Amino acid sequence: MSQPSDHPPHEPFFRLYAEHEVALHTFVRSLLPTREEAAEVMQEVMVILWQKSGQVDEFRPWAFGVARLAALRHLERRKRDRHVFDSELVHQLADESAAMSERHSDQREALESCLQKLPTTQRELVLTAYTKGTRMDDLATRRGQTPMALYKLLHRIRQALLECVRRTLAQEEMI
Amino acid sequence: MNHDWHDLIQRYIAGTLPDDEALALQNALKSDKDLRALYLDYMNLDVALGSQAESRAAVKEILASPMARETSRPGRRYPWLPLTAAAAIVLLAFIVWPRAAVDEEAISNGVAMVSDTLDAAFAEAAVRSGDTIAPGKLTLNKGLALIEFFSGATVLIEGATQIEIISAWEARCVSGRVRVHVPPAAKGFLMHAPDVKLEDLGTEFALNVKGQDSAVHVFDGEVIAHTKGNAPASLKEGMTLGQTDAGFLPIDDVHDLVRQRQERRHAEWQKWSEETRNDSRLVAYYTFKHWPDDRWDRLVKSCAIPPQKQRDGGAVGAKWTQGRWPGKDALEFKRPGDRVRMNPDGSYSALTLSCWVKVDSVDKKYNALLLTDGYDNGKPHWQIYEDGSLMFTIMYRPDASASVAAWNQMYFSRPVFSADSLGRWHHIAVSYDNQSGQVVQYFDGVEVSREVSRLHQPGRPITFGPSVIGNWGLPTGNHPSHFPIRNLNGAIDEFAIYSAALSGAEIRSIFENGKPE
Repeated sequence: MSQPSDHPPHEPFFRLYAEHEVALHTFVRSLLPTREEAAEVMQEVMVILWQKSGQVDEFRPWAFGVARLAALRHLERRKRDRHVFDSELVHQLADESAAMSERHSDQREALESCLQKLPTTQRELVLTAYTKGTRMDDLATRRGQTPMALYKLLHRIRQALLECVRRTLAQEEMI
Repeated sequence: MNHDWHDLIQRYIAGTLPDDEALALQNALKSDKDLRALYLDYMNLDVALGSQAESRAAVKEILASPMARETSRPGRRYPWLPLTAAAAIVLLAFIVWPRAAVDEEAISNGVAMVSDTLDAAFAEAAVRSGDTIAPGKLTLNKGLALIEFFSGATVLIEGATQIEIISAWEARCVSGRVRVHVPPAAKGFLMHAPDVKLEDLGTEFALNVKGQDSAVHVFDGEVIAHTKGNAPASLKEGMTLGQTDAGFLPIDDVHDLVRQRQERRHAEWQKWSEETRNDSRLVAYYTFKHWPDDRWDRLVKSCAIPPQKQRDGGAVGAKWTQGRWPGKDALEFKRPGDRVRMNPDGSYSALTLSCWVKVDSVDKKYNALLLTDGYDNGKPHWQIYEDGSLMFTIMYRPDASASVAAWNQMYFSRPVFSADSLGRWHHIAVSYDNQSGQVVQYFDGVEVSREVSRLHQPGRPITFGPSVIGNWGLPTGNHPSHFPIRNLNGAIDEFAIYSAALSGAEIRSIFENGKPE
């Protein structure tokens, strides 16, 4: 991202973008099969938003619309090396993902305390696995595990985190 | 049918899910809104963990730089923290967006259903009567099963038989004995067998397949038999094609046999129930018997011995319907007001709640099983959470504390109510002991969760008082005049409250004695 201070007129754009970036990222991620593709499409989305933001009144719905189109375009032209969801499901997911962004924002906040509840070794492991540049097979070798065993352990940790996050939100509402 | 969705979704995210399973996941996602929510939550978690890892890496970098060694921790660690007041206002402003396609139609890949079974054992362990079945092989090891195709054709199969369901209009008998009935609406239904393809013109016929040999007999109407190298042959009533040493599968007794089995199970349960009501640990035992001489039609009698009339319940709104078997009554909860009101007195050191329930839909955030009025100290709440898990809660809040959430002991099972468990009778139970603090939950006699809350302190009493089955009655406190809707969508035909934590073996026995089939 370039420095907003160099371009004073763009500062409002970057403020808006920063505000919605995580929600947009979650939205795009939910439509695409891999993390890398989501990151790629997000860059594309940011460029479009930056170029055209002066022409719109309501940033958020517009930005989600741009993100949806970019994700769909990406799905159309990507290599069919593995099964991807068909456009009917992608549209379903897009509608629901956009409508859930407040819930997702709450979940992201709850994630912090849920990570703290994990045993330290598990917390370190899951964050290391998500750190850019970490290769799963290297990580498995370093831990003296098979990649399959590592995947399974990560699945369990993620499931525990998701359940913790969901329950934390339920708890806040419970009377 | 019993997929571990968590595992499937995670493998899809990790890119390790084979295409056929990804396709199965896609189909399931299309038809299941809750599953889509789970998928979207996982995607959100994926992004959030990425952000967490990134900021942690950034923090490490800063801490490793020479300048940071003298200064303290960096201030802002999490990239979504900017989502505060101003952002929240923006979020609220757009909360109505987007509204398109809110009511998607659910989609199923089913082409037939198992409408009835008799002592059936399928090789595909998850298949039970009432199940919708997708194209694929179906192997019946023993017993009888009636398969109703969505085209209208009905196929009776007898163990040991394997059939392959191809579509609503087409099936293949791999081996065994089948009997096919095709009403006019399903004319053209195709049944394949080794060396022969049977096109049904509105009729009834039986087919025996052994190895590569097929034999067919037409009871009624007309079947066109297509065989390799021969012109299609018309088979009419009474005609047989091929040789078989086994007789053709009869149909007449099936419905009788099913009825007899239901009567037998009902009688066995009644006998067990007569003994159980003498269990001195029962606080109340509702068998949901509709008393014909009850002029008000609203009595839900507690059958525990000795009788404690003050613990009888009263139905509000809920209508009488059929329970697990013909002749067994149940109450149906459908409308927001439907409930059974009761008032179990006394103070207890342990409890077990045991219930036979048919849940038609988990359509609220919290779906009531048994809730005490309000939510005071030591009053249990038992519900089905929106994800289909069983949820037991009990709270002990110090007088001084205003916060409920901080003192709420919550216990969740794994999700047990999903598309393939809805619409049928299941046994659910929860036990709680106020010394050990252990809460154990059961689904169809099998333990599905065991947990002690970190808030547990031994010896705090459990009380019920004014309570409601299937809804939440007269909430107090924060909700003096309006309250959330939590009515169950389904039916209950047995509910027992015990003053002790029953063992897993005892719960298993309740299930075995009361199971519908």
